[in-house]
Amino acid sequence: MKLLLILFALLMPSLALAQNQVALTSDVLVERTTTAPDGTTRVALEPPGVVTPGDKIVFVLRYNNASASPAADFVVTNPIPDSVQFEGTESANAVYSVDGGQTWGALAALSVRQPDGSSRAAAPADVTHVQWRFAQPIPAGQGGELRFRGTVK
Amino acid sequence: MTRVKRFGAAVSMLAVVAGTASPAFASGTTAGSTITNNVTVSYQVGGVTQNSLSASNSFTVDRRVTFTVAEEGNATTQVSPGQSAAVTSFIVTNTSNAPLDFALAATNRAGGSAAHGGTDNFDVSNVNVYRDTNNDGDYDAGTDLLITYLDQLAADANTRVFVVVDVPLGRSTNDVAGVRLTGTAHEATAAGSLGAVVTQTAGANTAGVDTVFGDTTADGNTARDGIHFDEDDYTVLAASITAAKTSRVISDPLNGTTNPKLIPGAVVEYCITAANATGSATATNVSISDTLPSETTYLASFGVLVNGTVTGSTCNADGAIAGAHASGVVSGTIPSVVAGDTRTVLFRVTIN
Repeated sequence: MKLLLILFALLMPSLALAQNQVALTSDVLVERTTTAPDGTTRVALEPPGVVTPGDKIVFVLRYNNASASPAADFVVTNPIPDSVQFEGTESANAVYSVDGGQTWGALAALSVRQPDGSSRAAAPADVTHVQWRFAQPIPAGQGGELRFRGTVK
Repeated sequence: MTRVKRFGAAVSMLAVVAGTASPAFASGTTAGSTITNNVTVSYQVGGVTQNSLSASNSFTVDRRVTFTVAEEGNATTQVSPGQSAAVTSFIVTNTSNAPLDFALAATNRAGGSAAHGGTDNFDVSNVNVYRDTNNDGDYDAGTDLLITYLDQLAADANTRVFVVVDVPLGRSTNDVAGVRLTGTAHEATAAGSLGAVVTQTAGANTAGVDTVFGDTTADGNTARDGIHFDEDDYTVLAASITAAKTSRVISDPLNGTTNPKLIPGAVVEYCITAANATGSATATNVSISDTLPSETTYLASFGVLVNGTVTGSTCNADGAIAGAHASGVVSGTIPSVVAGDTRTVLFRVTIN
């Protein structure tokens, strides 16, 4: 039995990972555009060192199913921080909410009620939440990355 | 890490992203704010809903120092030679995401092209900066206060300031004096005093609030130096008065008014003209005095006609009796001579 435990420990180096069958991280990168002397511009993503209003940022969500079983009905939900204006997703198949997460849909299907009572089509800046709903289970041992963009208000 | 490619059907947002204009956040999130992103995952394993997972990350918004000093309006200020308290107005706008003090300095431009096309060719004096204290858009002496800095201008706030100068005498129409108002960002440490000059955070990003200069090259400025200036100018519109004196004999004691000759006892009419050149400023209170030749005697019965007109080169006797004679000096003050007009002072003498 003792030997079995040791063997188990060797097979599963990270006990924490074994318990958390799905791992999730959130990172943020800042888009920096530098202009070379010849006029060409280069866009680089950097860690959020100096961040000031107007800076373009990319949120990177990484998930990994470290368990031995597929993870089904996999739903990643990210409210947009108050001080960030949502610009769009780089990962396809997102659904959006413009009302604090009450209703969801493709952005084109959403509308925003205006102060005068009329409605207008929702724009990226109206998005309060972004969500990815995976149609297929995440197989064991697999993961991925989701990205969306915003601007610091 | 492999990317999961099997998603449900939905439209990609990339096209929308490409079409989005860069938003303008005038001052934006206050420096020192923390932006935290929270993300949650829910899922099932073997048909059983598992505890949802959360992850978050945070970063601090740093201080971006951007501001503008901009001339209000886009026209020169027209001035007269010798005018005191000639005003140009500027707006100082703090587009930083933090309150700041701004040191303000107004200086003369040293030659070259002035802000509105003319060439700077003289300096104004007594150059001072006043704040539009009552915010009415006009410089009000005694109300608007003399300042050397703006105290604690909030993020996104702006203030109108006036550069008030005196114009020297002796300048001609279309002479131009350029002035520059320079603002320098200072810390808004305490109300009522100018804080230290703002400096950029050197080296690597720190965990606290860093300072980044974001001012631009607009109007010939140096980018990202925490200093911003703009220029305006004063253009002189002077009156250009030319005085001339003509005389004609009216009568003599022997011929009367028929072909009179300049013999003793003859009456001679003097006409002093004051002509203001086309395109000049209106001259007011044009004061004329003329010392009579000792061989003549002022004709008091005719008087001194002031503000008469001229037809061709002939002085019309249509002025009003308004001048004076004292001790052999004739004087008169013409109320106003507009550009392109000529007005006269007319009087008569007799030859001794």
